Amino acid sequence: MKDNRIRILYIDDEIHNLNAFKAGFRRSYEIYTANSAQEGKQLLKNIDVHIIIADQKMPVSTGVEFFNEIKETLPDPMRILLTGYTDVEDIIDAINKGHIYSYIKKPWDEHELHKTINNAFEIYQTRRQLKEKIVELEKINDELNRFIYSTSHDLRSPLMSVLGIINLSRLDNSVVDPNGYLEMIEVCILKLDGFIQKIIEYYRNSRLDVEYEKIDFNNLLQECIGSFKHQNTAIEFQVNVEQPVDFKGDTFRISVILNNLISNAVKYQKPDESNPKVNLTVKVEPHKATLYIVDNGIGILSEHLNNIFKMFFRSKNNNKPGSGIGLYIVKEALNKIGGTINVESKYGEGTQFEISIPNRNDFDS
Amino acid sequence: MISIPDLRVILIDDNEVDLLLHEKLVTIQQISRTVLAFNNANKALEFLSSNIALPKIPPTILLLDIQMPEMDGFEFLEAFDSYPFKIKSQCHIIMVSSSLDYRDISRTYANPMVIKLLKKPLLAEELKNTIMEIFKEF
Repeated sequence: MKDNRIRILYIDDEIHNLNAFKAGFRRSYEIYTANSAQEGKQLLKNIDVHIIIADQKMPVSTGVEFFNEIKETLPDPMRILLTGYTDVEDIIDAINKGHIYSYIKKPWDEHELHKTINNAFEIYQTRRQLKEKIVELEKINDELNRFIYSTSHDLRSPLMSVLGIINLSRLDNSVVDPNGYLEMIEVCILKLDGFIQKIIEYYRNSRLDVEYEKIDFNNLLQECIGSFKHQNTAIEFQVNVEQPVDFKGDTFRISVILNNLISNAVKYQKPDESNPKVNLTVKVEPHKATLYIVDNGIGILSEHLNNIFKMFFRSKNNNKPGSGIGLYIVKEALNKIGGTINVESKYGEGTQFEISIPNRNDFDS
Repeated sequence: MISIPDLRVILIDDNEVDLLLHEKLVTIQQISRTVLAFNNANKALEFLSSNIALPKIPPTILLLDIQMPEMDGFEFLEAFDSYPFKIKSQCHIIMVSSSLDYRDISRTYANPMVIKLLKKPLLAEELKNTIMEIFKEF
């Protein structure tokens, strides 16, 4: 019975209707009949039908009552109600309670009923395909999940071993390395690791649920600065936080945003600048926080400004190493928490990023 | 140099290179002369359970990796939790991992048996300081 025939259950208390239906449609469909709702239910336990047609006026339980009863246990089959009366109340009931697809008047017009059955089956199939696609997508998502998890570990683990070997060789002075090759290896490893970490960051941003908690911007900024200061000790950081009210936001994403932008501000400094500066300003209001990250670095060419938030875009006018993913992650993280970003830059003079993040604090108003 | 006379270090890691690295670090830092390396957490458990016959369990530092095949670090902790107090009280567990996975990290911090999580590559200074911190009241 594994063919493509449409399986229909028709329930009616009048035997001659059942017989007429069989006679008219059995060449086109696989037909099951029952002469009461009770018998119909019994049949449904064993046979997986696509479409159920029920007469409204039956003793014991009506068609609508029957559909209403089975809608929890059998949500998939399409329901068609047949009735000799055109009772508006019945129709309204059927639609609201019985989740029926269509309503057919008795005596049925054979052509019309064919059309209705075929349309109903098309919807049935589309819904089934949609369900299958959802299951498939969930599986793919789950696999991606595990892939990134194992990538993060499997790729990093040997890299960290190499770094450990380099550290050890320095500790026990066992390697003669007058040309500094070990240091070059270390630089390359750190670069590769930086890229892996960015991928993990991107993945976490897209997968992790947004969680709101209290944020103290002074602490957060100091933490960020702490992790980049050593990259260029000449940079003067100016921090100005105005936080008269509590701020609630997603700590992970906000620190991802700040880390990427501060990292860029540190990285893209002019090599000959005598007074490199990074200004960080935060202004917290009851409904939002506005953050400014301003540097006097190399700036961004105006024709590149529209592209800097695109994945893997890298400005050609700098010789700095970069993955082209940092600002993309910033933009994605802001999308997740409902924030916005604006950039102003003058090539050769510096860059200013302005970020606005909604404050999720519920103030009693 | 750490002056706990009979201190021993047990290393549990499936990565042979890391076992060697950590063994060298312990030796160079003169943390302990007894280093026992296991590339499989089950074998380490077997060894520890054989210790029950000893009249006195020496103070022990365990450097435990998180991701390992067969039995991972968390499964090791779960099994080790049922060990007699006599053994458990002498074992100080430091997790060592290159994992950046926040679930691994938060699970590690949530485990009362774990004293600290150190990131790979393990740094000589960091290891020494952590162990000194453990034994500072001795």
